[in-house]
Amino acid sequence: MPPDPTPALSLRGLTKEFGTFRAVDKVDLDIPAGEIFALLGPNGAGKTTLISCITGLSRPTGGTAHVFGHDTRHDFRTTRRLIGLVPQEIAFDPFFTPHESLLIQMGLMGVKPDPDHADELLRRIALDHKRDAYTRNLSGGMKRRLLVAKALVHRPRILFLDEPTAGVDVELRRDLWGEVRRLRDAGTTIILTTHYLEEAEELADRIGVIRDGRLILVEKKRSLMERLGRCSVRLRPETTAPALDSLPFPAAELEDGQIEATWSTPDDLQRILQQAAQHFPIASIEVLQARLEDIFVSLVGHNAPQDRD
Amino acid sequence: MQPPTHTLQPIERQPWSPIGLRALFAKEVRRFAKVWLQTVFSPLITTSLYFLVFGVALGTRMGEIHGVPYIRFVIPGLMMLAMISNAFLNCSSSLFQSRINGTITDILVSPLGTAELLGAFVGAGVLRGLIVGSLVWLVAAFFVSPDIHHAGWMLYFSVTVCLSFAMLGLAVACLAQKYDHLAIVPSFVLTPMTFLGGVFYSIDMLPEPWRSVSLANPMLYMVNGLRYGLVGSSDVPILTAALAVLLLVTASTTAAAWLLARGRNLRT
Repeated sequence: MPPDPTPALSLRGLTKEFGTFRAVDKVDLDIPAGEIFALLGPNGAGKTTLISCITGLSRPTGGTAHVFGHDTRHDFRTTRRLIGLVPQEIAFDPFFTPHESLLIQMGLMGVKPDPDHADELLRRIALDHKRDAYTRNLSGGMKRRLLVAKALVHRPRILFLDEPTAGVDVELRRDLWGEVRRLRDAGTTIILTTHYLEEAEELADRIGVIRDGRLILVEKKRSLMERLGRCSVRLRPETTAPALDSLPFPAAELEDGQIEATWSTPDDLQRILQQAAQHFPIASIEVLQARLEDIFVSLVGHNAPQDRD
Repeated sequence: MQPPTHTLQPIERQPWSPIGLRALFAKEVRRFAKVWLQTVFSPLITTSLYFLVFGVALGTRMGEIHGVPYIRFVIPGLMMLAMISNAFLNCSSSLFQSRINGTITDILVSPLGTAELLGAFVGAGVLRGLIVGSLVWLVAAFFVSPDIHHAGWMLYFSVTVCLSFAMLGLAVACLAQKYDHLAIVPSFVLTPMTFLGGVFYSIDMLPEPWRSVSLANPMLYMVNGLRYGLVGSSDVPILTAALAVLLLVTASTTAAAWLLARGRNLRT
């Protein structure tokens, strides 16, 4: 059977204005089912507002959002059952325990409360030992894990993770990444915003970059890193550095005397190393791979080209 | 973490969410039941003290009003006072606290529509109002043998008044910007109007123009409607009282439904 061509999420001209301020500016985006999509952008770029417009926390002032072909505004009862949201802010009703919170959330999401499913979720997030504790007594990391479980109670087809690992330790972050991959393997579409570019680099199939409410780039992570990623090699001469214009490849001398050259393919790198060895004795070699962080900074940093009117 | 046993949510249209309505209603009931000392017992003590002081201690000096012993005369008013404040506070505090602490997100991302939200919040508010009102009536039964003149009218006024003020509570929770705003309505509107609405006296005891002014107070019709149902005495015709309360139900429901549907101060 051919795969369903209907995108899990389809945005057309989605816009959100607060008075004269346009927080989300005519965003067009299609995300196929089963993808992990990372939405990156600096603080205040519009990531959370965009998610809020899709999940029902905010009302768009223009454009449309469709979830598996259903309009999020006119057919919200259908779309909200398909969406799970792990919000950025940690908030819990202090009256209830983790187990009770999950059962309540199941009901709110329109599925029959299932104590066994709640127990399974608590086991998956390693909170089964806190099943009957008051949520107010949980640590910050535990509360964040419980937020993830709450978003999963109704087995959503799309999971939005808004800064899911903010303020959690390395071990928990790795656990959450593992959970995200397992959910994707089970067919869930994942859309995550994050400040940790390592997270996007590790998880995402595609990257979207948002700045000033505009989606300025959407590209597969691999092609983005190949296209915009800058790989370099740093060579430390055994004695003094050679004159740069005597070298057969473009290079720069760093403050500590190292020679730095850029490369794009392994063949490039090999050629540079061979040519360098013929011109000066090399004490050490440091190969630097392209990093999403560098690409991100070049796209949204203070010196990035501005495309707004 | 353990591997998930994951079956995805089916893509199907749902006309409404009865499971969600039940879940939110149950959550709201459990919320006030978990702190029953504060939500149910505390108002019961306050109202019982009113009853002891005005009904039992001072009542013997008051004689009868419209042929009804004073201690019996004040019971419906005290019940109404308790029902109004509890129905109002349950809805206003629950929704407003959810807004402030951020748990409103759980509701806003759910497939619940305006009708289910109204039904669940207001249903819980009405239930709390009726529970506290019934307990006040039971306390009164310790002091005087309880009587019900007309069960139908008693139920009509009890339910519709709780409904009205639960709706108003929701509306105020949508409009309020800080906790102070929640206190303004009970302190500066509900309590004065209730006390001046004939809880402790008949408006026939007031000189003009205060008697006529009192007729503009909607609480008068609620208190007297319930008084008619319980002891068979009312300062106003029972059908007029019933109509007045029905108008209040309509107005408060319209306001609450409009604010919730627009997501005023709920959805940005």
